[in-house]
Amino acid sequence: MKTEFSLKVMVASLICCVCFFPLIADADVKNPDTFVFASYGTVRTLDPCVAYDTVSRQRILNIYEPLVFFDGSATDKFVPLAAAEVPTVANGGITTDGKTYTFTIRKGIKFQEGGELSPEDVVYSLKRNMIADPDGGPMWMLLEALTGKGSTRDKKGNILPEIFETIDKSIEVKGDKVILHLPKPYPPLMGILAYSSSVVIDKEWAVTKGCWDGKIENAAKYNKPDPGHEPLQKISNGSGAYRMKSWEPSNQFIFDRFDGYWGPKPALKTAIFKYVKEWSTRKLMLQNGDADRVMVDNPYVPEVKAMKGLKFYKVPQLSITTACLCQNIETRGNSDIGSGKLDGKGIPPNFFSDINVRKAFLHAFDRKLYAEDVFDNMVIMPTSPNIEGLAYHKENVPVYDFDLAKSAEFMKKAWGGKVWEKGFEMVVTYNTGNEMREAAAQMMVENIMSLNRKFKIETRSVDWKDYLVKYRAFMFPIFIIGWGADYADPHNFVYTYMHSQGVYGRYMAYQNDEIDKLCDAGIDTANPAKRDIIYTKLQKLWYEEAIAVPLYQQIEIRAYRDYVHGYVPNPMFNQEWENLKMMSKK
Amino acid sequence: MSAFITRRLLFLILVLFGVSVLIFGILMTFSPERRAASYVSSPQQAKDIPNLIQKYGLDDPFYVQYVRWIKEISSGNFGWSLVAARPVWDAFWQYFPVTLELNLFVSPLIVIIGIWLGTYSGIRKDTWFDHLARIFAIIGWSLPTFLFALILLMVFYGYFNALGPGILSDNIHMYVVNNPETFIRYTGMYTIDGLLNGQLEVTFDALKHLVLPVITQVIVVVALLMRIMRSGMIEEMSKDYIMTARAKGADRRTIYIGHARKNALIPVITVAGQLVAFSMEGSIAVEVVFNRQGIGWWLAESAIQLDMPVLMCICLFMGLVFVMTNLIIDILYATIDPRIRLA
Repeated sequence: MKTEFSLKVMVASLICCVCFFPLIADADVKNPDTFVFASYGTVRTLDPCVAYDTVSRQRILNIYEPLVFFDGSATDKFVPLAAAEVPTVANGGITTDGKTYTFTIRKGIKFQEGGELSPEDVVYSLKRNMIADPDGGPMWMLLEALTGKGSTRDKKGNILPEIFETIDKSIEVKGDKVILHLPKPYPPLMGILAYSSSVVIDKEWAVTKGCWDGKIENAAKYNKPDPGHEPLQKISNGSGAYRMKSWEPSNQFIFDRFDGYWGPKPALKTAIFKYVKEWSTRKLMLQNGDADRVMVDNPYVPEVKAMKGLKFYKVPQLSITTACLCQNIETRGNSDIGSGKLDGKGIPPNFFSDINVRKAFLHAFDRKLYAEDVFDNMVIMPTSPNIEGLAYHKENVPVYDFDLAKSAEFMKKAWGGKVWEKGFEMVVTYNTGNEMREAAAQMMVENIMSLNRKFKIETRSVDWKDYLVKYRAFMFPIFIIGWGADYADPHNFVYTYMHSQGVYGRYMAYQNDEIDKLCDAGIDTANPAKRDIIYTKLQKLWYEEAIAVPLYQQIEIRAYRDYVHGYVPNPMFNQEWENLKMMSKK
Repeated sequence: MSAFITRRLLFLILVLFGVSVLIFGILMTFSPERRAASYVSSPQQAKDIPNLIQKYGLDDPFYVQYVRWIKEISSGNFGWSLVAARPVWDAFWQYFPVTLELNLFVSPLIVIIGIWLGTYSGIRKDTWFDHLARIFAIIGWSLPTFLFALILLMVFYGYFNALGPGILSDNIHMYVVNNPETFIRYTGMYTIDGLLNGQLEVTFDALKHLVLPVITQVIVVVALLMRIMRSGMIEEMSKDYIMTARAKGADRRTIYIGHARKNALIPVITVAGQLVAFSMEGSIAVEVVFNRQGIGWWLAESAIQLDMPVLMCICLFMGLVFVMTNLIIDILYATIDPRIRLA
């Protein structure tokens, strides 16, 4: 009996030792040469011509290098990477007409699989990515800048005549220089060249892996690869400071330092990016030092702030969320607009074409309370799509203050008084799980309903992918949606929201010829003074036309263990971003 | 017996055909736009939805799309998983071993503990042991898996900093990644691969990471089996043949284990078989909380993102598992109870 008891005690002790051994382990910096980040973002591809999500871009921009990259926190200043210097008008790298950019290519850069980076590699990379131009990819930016067309294909999917020849002529090599020829000035070009779609790949290696063979007559064969069938989807060979050690999709991505990197030797040998979907698990990993940083969504910021041993960064994002007011709503099979008439039981499809209705909604949104309640004031309340952080943004522009009396006044004027007299019913939607958008919808709806008992509005959540489909089918009277910067230029935002062919302008069915002309003029000139006038005017028109309700410009919080150093905030990148070569642990 | 097995295997083809038509039909109720939207994630990409519909023929009639899909899988192409960013077939063999490894530990434990607890609860009906076992069963069955998993993780990992999430510790995982020639992933299950490669520290580390997921799964699931076994035992114990055995002076072990338990096992085998088959689908809660991306996680994410090739593949796989499990259950019936004949 005694022996049996002793055996049990021994087994129990052994289990305790095995399980709780880490309790007595060293609490100092764990793995000083390894950085661990836990997030729920997944990598879709490592092919630069396809990657259009922040997770894939993070991986690509640490493995490969573009010609230039953002200088620290700046979005309009650049440092050279594959280029020896950043071209400017002053150093002769950019012609005064803004149509020719000349890059001198840095010497001595090695690719991870061997071979040296040459100007031919740069030209090949840019051409190859534009030729591939997959559906849903990022290549429209470079194509627009270098060919004047946003795609290699027309709306029916047919390849545009002469497009590959135009691509071929747009870039050339002269000695150690690469020259880009633009059909017209394109001010955001440098930002586009800092994007992951402009990184340099090894031509010889890429061709052996099944990428474009370098012959322009064969280009069509390499156009529009199927999703997942792009040749560089899971392989890489860049000139960046890190190489891919392993990638287990939806599990972890491991970087290994590239010892042949041309620049200063990075401090970290390894970086592990783990997929951890559950917040509680991520939080515990951060708390125990098993992760040096984790993805923290806004609702969890207070929890993280209460933890010890962390340091925080606030990163304002170059993004905006607005409530877009659709002026030509689809009526077929659309229960969101009730009867489809202004009879007290619904709204007509063009309900928001009356500016008084739009102004009433704008005055019914309590910006101050929203910032306090939802964001604890850690947010930028935008005044127009030309948000803070973009060039030509103006601080002192008029906004629609929260004022229910004015809101009622505009409602009384709307539709010749019929709106006030008969009332209306409609549904406001937001995408499921987005608490910030849900709060905005409810706040606005409650305030509007408080104006008149005959105003009946419901809120409803819709799955994100359904949301993407339905707003494009004009199904929503109001769609709450955001836009993140592709490049840091007001054109990327203003065109999107205000131009009749912009991604959101089109689906708000908003058309204003003056605004369209101004949007087009803004991108057609590189003259800062002219652009300043244009974008100031557009901001004014945004207010006067009451196009949509600007809701929020997010400020993200990053939480690192306090022994992690080197992070430089940049509004172009969200929480998935990490520039590994700058990081260290000590 | 062989005729029975052959017939059931032929029946499997019909079942898989039925399952594929049913699931394909359900997925076709989503509009072509919605199915094309699976390929995009941002408003920037949404402009290409019409092109994607045209490219993949998503607006073709149902039968055209179904035949196209059948042709593809006949040639071994199960499609591309958007969630896994891999071909479905490759992704399946990445996620399935994770689920299988967990089940290799969970299933025997559920069966052994469930039968043992149920047997003794039945024998010792209305004793303190029976009451405790029933309370344990009620708590286990009513406890949400997600909550129980989180509690375990917070106590053991959060408080004691032991038994962390994931499949392997970082240093062990780096060893595996850095030594692909010496550490061969024969099965994709680290507990077994560690043994096969003679790397016991890998096996040990993988086992350590399995402790909490296994406890969670066992405690939550074992209750059902235990309750069925207990009821079966009580029922059998009240039958005449047990009284006869007692009257003839048979010892308690022969009566309880040799006679009563054997007969009480028949319904338990059915439930245990279904539980094991069902667990092949993975436990979403366990996989998410303990960060073990397996079939459950993959299926859930694919359902959310409408990753059609994955949904089709997993549904077919589950159809296969359930048909095979039922076949094994039927064979076991005949083995346990000779009165049952397979015709």
